Amino acid sequence: MKYAFYPGCVSKGGCPELYPAVLKVADKLGLELVEMEDAGCTGAGILSREVSDPINARTFAKAEAMGLPIMTICSTCQGVMTQANHRLKDDEYRQMINREYLSEEGLEYKGTTDVRHMLWAIVEDYGLDKLRDLVVRPLNGLPVAQFYGCYLKRPPELMVPKEFAKTRKTALEDVIEALGGVAVKSSGRGKCCGFPILTSNEENSLSMCGDHTLDAKAKGAVAMVTPCPLCHLELDGKQADAAAHKGQEINIPVFHLPQLVGLAMGFSPKEMNLQRHLVSTKPIEQRLGVEVKA
Amino acid sequence: MEVKIAIKRSNAQTNGKAISQAYSIEMDGNRTLLDGLIRIREEQDPTLAFRGSCGTGFCGDCTMTVNGKGAVACRTKLGKALKKADDGIIEVGPLKLAKVAKDLMYDAENFHWQKFKAVEPWVDPVAPPAKGENVVANDEVQDLRAVMSCTQCGLCDQGCTVLVVDKTFLGPAALTKAYRAVFDSRDSRTAERLQKLSMRRGMWDCTHCFEASEHCPKRIEPTDRIFALHDKAIKAEAGPPKVVHHYKSFAASVKAHGWLDEARLAVETEGFTNVRGLMKLLPFAVKAGIKGKHPLPYMLHKKRPGAEHIKRIFEKWEDNGK
Amino acid sequence: MPQHDVIVIGGGFAGLRAALEARASSADVAVLSKVHPMRSHSSGAHSGVNAALKSGDSWQDHAKDTIEAGAYLCDQKAVEVLCKNASEDVVALERMGVIFNRDSDGRIDVMPFAGSSHPRTCYAGDSAGHVILQVLYEQVLRSQIPTYDEWFVSSILVEDGMCKGVVARELKTGQNHAFYAKAVILATGGLGRVYSPSTCSLTGTADGPALAYRAGAPLVDMEMVQYHPTTLSDRGILITEAARGEGGRLVNKDGDRFMAASDAGAMEMAARDVCSRAVHAEIQEGRGENGNVYLDLRHLDKGRISDRLRETLWLLEDLEDLDPSKDLIPVRPAMHRPIGGVRVDTFGATGLPGLYAAGECASTGAHGANRLGGNSLLDCVVFGRRAGEAAARHSRGATWHPPQESLAIAETAGFNEIASRAPGKDTPGIIRRELGSLMNRKVGILRDEAGLKDAASVLRNLKERHSRLGLRDKDAAYNTDIISAAELGNMLDVAEIIIAAALARRESRGCHYRTDFPQRDDVKWLRRSVATRSTRGPIINSAPVVVTQWNPAERNPAR
Ligand SMILES: Cc1cc2nc3c(=O)[nH]c(=O)nc-3n(C[C@H](O)[C@H](O)[C@H](O)COP(=O)(O)OP(=O)(O)OC[C@H]3O[C@@H](n4cnc5c(N)ncnc54)[C@H](O)[C@@H]3O)c2cc1C
Ligand code: SF4
Repeated sequence: MKYAFYPGCVSKGGCPELYPAVLKVADKLGLELVEMEDAGCTGAGILSREVSDPINARTFAKAEAMGLPIMTICSTCQGVMTQANHRLKDDEYRQMINREYLSEEGLEYKGTTDVRHMLWAIVEDYGLDKLRDLVVRPLNGLPVAQFYGCYLKRPPELMVPKEFAKTRKTALEDVIEALGGVAVKSSGRGKCCGFPILTSNEENSLSMCGDHTLDAKAKGAVAMVTPCPLCHLELDGKQADAAAHKGQEINIPVFHLPQLVGLAMGFSPKEMNLQRHLVSTKPIEQRLGVEVKA
Repeated sequence: MEVKIAIKRSNAQTNGKAISQAYSIEMDGNRTLLDGLIRIREEQDPTLAFRGSCGTGFCGDCTMTVNGKGAVACRTKLGKALKKADDGIIEVGPLKLAKVAKDLMYDAENFHWQKFKAVEPWVDPVAPPAKGENVVANDEVQDLRAVMSCTQCGLCDQGCTVLVVDKTFLGPAALTKAYRAVFDSRDSRTAERLQKLSMRRGMWDCTHCFEASEHCPKRIEPTDRIFALHDKAIKAEAGPPKVVHHYKSFAASVKAHGWLDEARLAVETEGFTNVRGLMKLLPFAVKAGIKGKHPLPYMLHKKRPGAEHIKRIFEKWEDNGK
Repeated sequence: MPQHDVIVIGGGFAGLRAALEARASSADVAVLSKVHPMRSHSSGAHSGVNAALKSGDSWQDHAKDTIEAGAYLCDQKAVEVLCKNASEDVVALERMGVIFNRDSDGRIDVMPFAGSSHPRTCYAGDSAGHVILQVLYEQVLRSQIPTYDEWFVSSILVEDGMCKGVVARELKTGQNHAFYAKAVILATGGLGRVYSPSTCSLTGTADGPALAYRAGAPLVDMEMVQYHPTTLSDRGILITEAARGEGGRLVNKDGDRFMAASDAGAMEMAARDVCSRAVHAEIQEGRGENGNVYLDLRHLDKGRISDRLRETLWLLEDLEDLDPSKDLIPVRPAMHRPIGGVRVDTFGATGLPGLYAAGECASTGAHGANRLGGNSLLDCVVFGRRAGEAAARHSRGATWHPPQESLAIAETAGFNEIASRAPGKDTPGIIRRELGSLMNRKVGILRDEAGLKDAASVLRNLKERHSRLGLRDKDAAYNTDIISAAELGNMLDVAEIIIAAALARRESRGCHYRTDFPQRDDVKWLRRSVATRSTRGPIINSAPVVVTQWNPAERNPAR
């Protein structure tokens, strides 16, 4: 399995722990990643579509020329790209973008590129059975709350279309279970983490972060896992502030999806960069019997 | 067929507490839940309180929660609801985020109408022709009509993640209503409206998580409408300074480097001169810096190969906008 | 005690239009409505509003079509007012913010409608009602007109031969309040709930006509009850006439376009009463299926109807899992709207000083014996506006004479009397269902003396049962039991009048078809029926029809 790998900005920026973890895990899974070094930002729902659609079309055209599907590692990248790709299925619109924006660079997007999140790649392309075979350090019934991030679920007709309903509705849960953990259904699992309004309304953002993490704890989870680095920035990075805002202790470690997979596949916490999290993952490491080196 | 419906009731008899009351009616599964409720009220229990008016999905009066999800009762077929019900009983309750008034009726005044009024949804005409109608392109009319097909059913609001934590947020329904006034070429107050809508509790409090679009039964795509408001506000520089900075800096970073420079974004969002804002960033930055969870300082930010092409895209877009 | 110069009862098209005009005339005006204005029945109107805006068309043509459709029973003065004002009033709606569909020049577009000689119906997709109601409400907010939402008006205060206000119950609290006003405008909408099924919203319970009748104002043309030819199966949900305007065909179970037999020229575009009777006959004679004939849209351009019939397509998808580009739509006639109502002049005056009426609850006589599609909405905006203006003018000239307090107390006590009765087996709903089915069977598309007499006697029994009804709901807040009982009382009173008027008119004309008197009889019956109240029930008299320039003639069935 070979992909045009789109790492996004955050995996190298705000969440630098993610990028190397992805490379290691992908390698072990035998997913061949060809990094798209010169692809632009998706726009993240911040840039106007008028400009982000052409930028994304450019990315799709490059992957199309490589003959590869794109793999993303961020719910937001995935969501924005899927939506843009859907709009670009419209011939007239796509031709306009090609003409006005891509032709100068000698590119043309024909509308055939498939964009897949690493989570889907694991569940749909790789397969849970094969994943199970690779587990050397099972999670041993560890209760983990899945947190998809809003962009990986919505709009449902694009993100979880009928033909993928079976695999995508419960993809994260299925991965957790394949790793030997127990998936905990928290009420925020498909909701927005609060990150997008951190600048405009921090108070609400922290309330959301607090609600989601506290609810996961209340439902019995001892850790959370997310396929979205923006959710990670919020749930991990802002957790202390959310705790202060809520006046309640929280302290629930949050894993990036590949980190949890990697841990179960035998990578060390260091290799997965767990030390970089703001909320310590030590209690989980201990519980899994990972040797904790000084 | 026999249809069992459990209705969450709260009224004087229940001392305002919600209790579930079970009813059973004989009705074709092809009929709607509203038909079923009317039957219950007419034949079995005239004390049951619920709203409903047009019965065809236009007036938005009969919104409720059905099997845990928001629904318009007159567009919900009993047979289908039954299929989705646990234990073969359709669970019906009032709209979730609103205050219950009685049984299935909720406090619509606060939930819908106050916010509807708050966006001053009427058209304040820009010099209309002396006589006759305004000349408007049919494309614009179609777009606005899609928005105006909103029935204020409140399902987008019920699905909204922000309203859960902050009831004072305007919410997608009112913002969708605002879209109409902002994008109606006959209106004269666009800039002022964008300013007002940019105040706290307004459009910038939306996380654009697409819940609203998912929940809208009229396929109005409220989330996309809010995106459109954002775009328009940024172009008009109408947002709160911090947000405008944030958006502009984001765009500038992508334009210059092809991708996002988060350190620069954080600093610029607060504003270089906003010392207090920057101080606030410090604890996070320091903590994150020690942990290694911190982006490279923007001075070191590398350009992506291909950045110049992305810049060209930006330039063309900016030209097109002119 | 709330007090306003002008009080408007009803938040539909007519009520809101009236309120805006009263406000524009500087009156202190308020709107009372038993549902939030935006939930009014008007929101469900689909197709559009008639105005001769385009060259080639004229107000005279519009008037002629209206009068022919009305089978010459129209008050032609009222027709002239309606049609002459149409263009200006529709343009005024646009200027308030209504987004009518546009033609290629960006001007208001028009579409063809059954019974109209020219394309004349201004539309907004197929949700004209929803859009117009919204814009009127927006303007009400803009004008800062107070609205009392979810208040039920239970009676009109009349003293010294003058209307002095109303008594209303706030649904939320269950409190009754007297509202004093120099002028009251009834705009309570339809009475469809008297029939079952009906295309009418749940609010159409004949409140306005019943209140006016009890206050001493006469009702006119009550026997004229229009059936809409295409309603969805047995649901009473209307499939817009625009579907036929776009080229939709009516076919029977064998796929034949049976309208050819009634009117080979107009076919599906024949006037409503003609079309409804033809569909009814087709079904009665065994050429329908499951009580329906079919509306066939399969040959129409998909792209075009996906915009113009956008709401209708969803409705069919949600409720019947139908895709009209592939499937036939099962339709049958159902009761749609009354043509008669509270008798008013073209300024909404009822004859009782201070009491005005407009919209579907009123009748200027402009629609005669059958209303042209697209004229109802027009009626609401033209006559609503004029009633608002007249009521404001009246209030300026009048001085305050608040009624004796005892009057409101007595009215409230009368309303609350039911609360003291013990509940029995009957509920308001059970009686309403019997009423609806009775009216549909015996006082529907086809009528005869025996059936009407039957209906009258059953109705007496229903009224008697109503008078013994007790309340089960003891809550003050949102007590729908007491409201249903009051609404039922209104419906029973009005049903009695419909039956009496239908018995009296021994001919067939427009919506009123007597199988025992199948011919139109201009010699005896070119007269409007007028119902007044007496202790022994309604008395039906008649009044001459006002003719200005269109002499009664054989009716072109296409109109
Ligand atoms: C499905 C459908 C489609 C239609 N399509 C068209 C069309 O295309 N073109 C056209 O011209 N016409 C059409 N009509 C007819 C048109 O919609 C109506 O005639 C019109 O909306 C009536 O408006 P109104 O203001 O008189 O009454 P309504 O809209 O019925 O308003 C009545 C108001 O009175 C209030 N009210 C009633 N009783 C009381 C009380 N006791 N106390 C307080 N408030 C009270 C109600 O709350 C409501 O606000 C259609 C009708 C239907 C049912
Ligand atoms: S936008 Fe959609 S979901 Fe929201 S109130 Fe309007 S119709 Fe309902």
